[in-house]
Amino acid sequence: MTSSGLAVETRGLTKRFGRHEAVSSLDLSVPTGSVFGFLGPNGSGKTTTIRMLLALAAPSAGTITVLGSEMPKRSASVLPRVGALVEGPGFYPFLSGAANLTRFDAAEPGTSSRTRSARVAEALARVGLSAAAAKKVGSYSLGMKQRLGIAVALLSPRDLIVLDEPTNGLDPQGTREVRSLIRGLNADGTTVLVSSHLLAEIEQLCTHAAVMRAGRLVAQGGLDELRGATAAIEIVTPDLDLAREVLARFGLDATADETSTGDSTPRLDAPLPDGVLPEDLVVELVAADVRVRGVAVRRPSLEDRFVELTGEGFDVER
Amino acid sequence: MNPSVKRWAPFAAVPIIAVAAAIAIPMTTNAAQDLPEKTPQQLLEFVADSDVTAFSGEFTQTSDLGLPDLSSLGSGSTTGADGDGFMSALVELATTSNDARIYADAEQGARLQVLDQLDERDVIATADDGLWIYDSGEKTALHVTHEGSSDASTPPADVPTPSSVAEKLLDSVDDTTAVAVGSNGTVAGRDVYELVLTPRDETTLVGDVTISVDGETGMPLGIAVTAEGASSPAFSVAYTSVDYSTPDSSLFAFTPPAGVEVTEKAIPADAHSDDAAPDDSTTPGDAAPEAPDVTTTGAGWGTIVELAAGEASASLEGLDAITTPVDGGRVLSSSLVNVLITDDGRVFAGAVSVDALESAAR
Amino acid sequence: MSNADTLTSPARRRGGGVGDLLLSELALLFRRRRTWALLGALALIPVLLAVAVRLSGSGGGPSFVGDIAGNGLFTGFAAITVAVPLFLPLTVGVVAGDTIAGEASLGTLRYLLITPAGRIRLLLVKFAVAAAFCLAAALTVVVAGLLIGLALFPVGPVTLLSGTEIPAIDAVGRALLIAVHVAISLVGLTAIGVFISTLTDVPVGAMAATVVLSITAQILGSLSQLSALHPYLFSAHWFGFGDLLRDPISWASFGDNVVLQLGYAVVFGSLAMGRFVTRDILS
Ligand SMILES: Nc1ncnc2c1ncn2[C@@H]1O[C@H](COP(=O)(O)OP(=O)(O)O)[C@@H](O)[C@H]1O
Ligand SMILES: [Mg+2]
Repeated sequence: MTSSGLAVETRGLTKRFGRHEAVSSLDLSVPTGSVFGFLGPNGSGKTTTIRMLLALAAPSAGTITVLGSEMPKRSASVLPRVGALVEGPGFYPFLSGAANLTRFDAAEPGTSSRTRSARVAEALARVGLSAAAAKKVGSYSLGMKQRLGIAVALLSPRDLIVLDEPTNGLDPQGTREVRSLIRGLNADGTTVLVSSHLLAEIEQLCTHAAVMRAGRLVAQGGLDELRGATAAIEIVTPDLDLAREVLARFGLDATADETSTGDSTPRLDAPLPDGVLPEDLVVELVAADVRVRGVAVRRPSLEDRFVELTGEGFDVER
Repeated sequence: MNPSVKRWAPFAAVPIIAVAAAIAIPMTTNAAQDLPEKTPQQLLEFVADSDVTAFSGEFTQTSDLGLPDLSSLGSGSTTGADGDGFMSALVELATTSNDARIYADAEQGARLQVLDQLDERDVIATADDGLWIYDSGEKTALHVTHEGSSDASTPPADVPTPSSVAEKLLDSVDDTTAVAVGSNGTVAGRDVYELVLTPRDETTLVGDVTISVDGETGMPLGIAVTAEGASSPAFSVAYTSVDYSTPDSSLFAFTPPAGVEVTEKAIPADAHSDDAAPDDSTTPGDAAPEAPDVTTTGAGWGTIVELAAGEASASLEGLDAITTPVDGGRVLSSSLVNVLITDDGRVFAGAVSVDALESAAR
Repeated sequence: MSNADTLTSPARRRGGGVGDLLLSELALLFRRRRTWALLGALALIPVLLAVAVRLSGSGGGPSFVGDIAGNGLFTGFAAITVAVPLFLPLTVGVVAGDTIAGEASLGTLRYLLITPAGRIRLLLVKFAVAAAFCLAAALTVVVAGLLIGLALFPVGPVTLLSGTEIPAIDAVGRALLIAVHVAISLVGLTAIGVFISTLTDVPVGAMAATVVLSITAQILGSLSQLSALHPYLFSAHWFGFGDLLRDPISWASFGDNVVLQLGYAVVFGSLAMGRFVTRDILS
């Protein structure tokens, strides 16, 4: 593995279309072995970034390192180790699914023609298309095409798999299958970079994530890091002052929740630093005769964080 | 430098080199060669002493006379009504380029093949079988034989090749012509001397005539006629390939194929066969066209040919589009040759100025 | 950053040749219904010619057509003469114009490049496949012509342009040689079509532009004012196949044609490479 431990690393990556900057000074770091969620609203520059990672488009500025080698310079040696689905599948509609895969496999230099049909059958099986292998792609549903697109990425063993909106057009069952496919790949040691504009689809999947907004990276890191490390503790008690005193001993700065609705018991909110355990707090509060009616530790959801980072949410911005 | 420009550069270089090569290579083949030096007189003798008896070759004739577009006159077919044929043959010679092959052997005869696109006109002259003129497009053949049978009065040299034309030209070199040796070059892949004939006659439109002479065999391989004051030839004939081995004898045996209309024509044994020159493109079935009533005035380069009224003027009607009116007639003007058609139907032509033609007409 | 070689990667042969891809693309071309429709349309030319001559029972018309009734082998020569100026360039324009733009419009281009097929390698293969189509197209016209001629008319020795008769079997050989000449004649147009195809993601545009260029070249070739330009037009020797029907065969125009078409292939091939290698694939 690379000394930096990064499967993908960009520095100052920029892409301009005429005067419009689709990607601006992107510093992306995808750790090796991670499932990396690449999130952002439609038009935020995800696909454009992925095109540059795969040497389909040349960066206007900045550098790209994929699997330890500079792109697009070393694409001939890097790309065989990368599988990808970019902006939807692309196939000859008059060829069967298997024939389309065979064609892409034959296009890859150095693949053995003897084992080609076995590779194709294996890739089709992994995406659950074995039954439709001989059908013309023109007759496939959108979801089946999407799966076939993923199968192209799986034809050979890869070190990095890039999936751009892989769940587009899939039914909930298909979405679940793709998720388990990604987990399986990752378990085999493959780094997976998966982009989506739907947070919920990949939140349960990712170990790391980056959030794009209007061509800029607004956050990236481990999932916990992104959610915000500081959880909050909420204490429901009528003894507000007493409780606040106790909390202050632990260095917590509690505030009464004024917004709590009329007849309910007053609440205290305090950020919960890493070193402080909630159970210790409760023991101290009870010892101090605070009438604790309820305790809750809350971490902000990624969704909250998301709306915060991307502003309006997932509307198209430009 | 813009990275995309840098990546483009090697690919852009290839077409540039290729185009440059396409332009430069034909030029370099004309570069001077090492041939023993000869004086004009020595070169003339070298040509005269040339003893090539058998050869074959392909040659190209091109014209750039600066004529108006004559395509409306229907230069496509060279056959038709007599006068028409004569005119269109002239027009064709003056405007298009022709490729032809020649096979010659003093022992057997000669064969000229004019390589038209998807057609061919053949002239086969042999001692045994007289003269065949075959036109694949018209599917006609004319067979000219000499009464009293096998006489050898049809010499191969009757076929106008660069060699034969040049030899005729050189035969008539006299004191009206300055002869000089030009720079050496290459024709048909062979090193050649250049013999430059410059008319002393001030009235002619001909600037000079350059004859390329094979440095080894002394056979003329090309002729280029340049008009006075012009930089590139108005008319040229030159071999593109030449081979001095004896051509296969089957080439000189002509049997008209099935479906071809054959016209037999016998000429009295003592008559000359000049009438049957190949470019006349005669229509078999008719007699070869009688030569129009021709008179010449002047001499040498300034010769003016006069055709009496009625002979050719009929076929010159309808030329209004390409002629310009002058006092007493109309003029067809080119860089090398001028033609004056007087109002009374006489035609004057020559490699001279319009003024000279007009004074001849008076 | 450490050397890429220390990364664990599946063992594979590097720098594979062009073979598998070429075979796969050739197979793809001849699996397309469109290819067969084009070849079928070309085969229809001699069939229509022969049937028309059969029904009218008369000759006349363009070169060789008049000879069909007397000798069926002339159907092949007549058909290629009819096909050269328009129908063959049309089909070649469709195939060459589609090479890259067609892949781009289907979205398959990005997957071929990610695979990675390699841009130059893919372009060379696409060009070779289009050139193979040229040969298939020319052979289709000639062979269909010979077959229909054989079926409808008597066959016998063939009279060459020089007036010499050759046996029927030799005439078939010459007909095949003509197909080769015509196929080579179309290589320059193919290179131009492939180049145009790298300029756009709209295959129909590339096809139309290629066909328009083929017609333009022939119009330029008919203008005597431009005679200096004529030897350099890619259509210069399109009718030069007549030289293969002489006795002896005149190889000059065949040779000139090879050099000319090679020149076009080199010039437009490198332009196509320059464009394709530097191009962003955004389809
Ligand atoms: N070929 C193109 N030409 C011009 N602008 C483009 C092109 N492709 C994408 N863009 C622009 O780049 C921006 C990012 O697009 P994209 O990367 O496709 O977003 P995402 O994949 O995140 O939805 C958008 O504003 C889009 O309009
Ligand atoms: Mg996208």
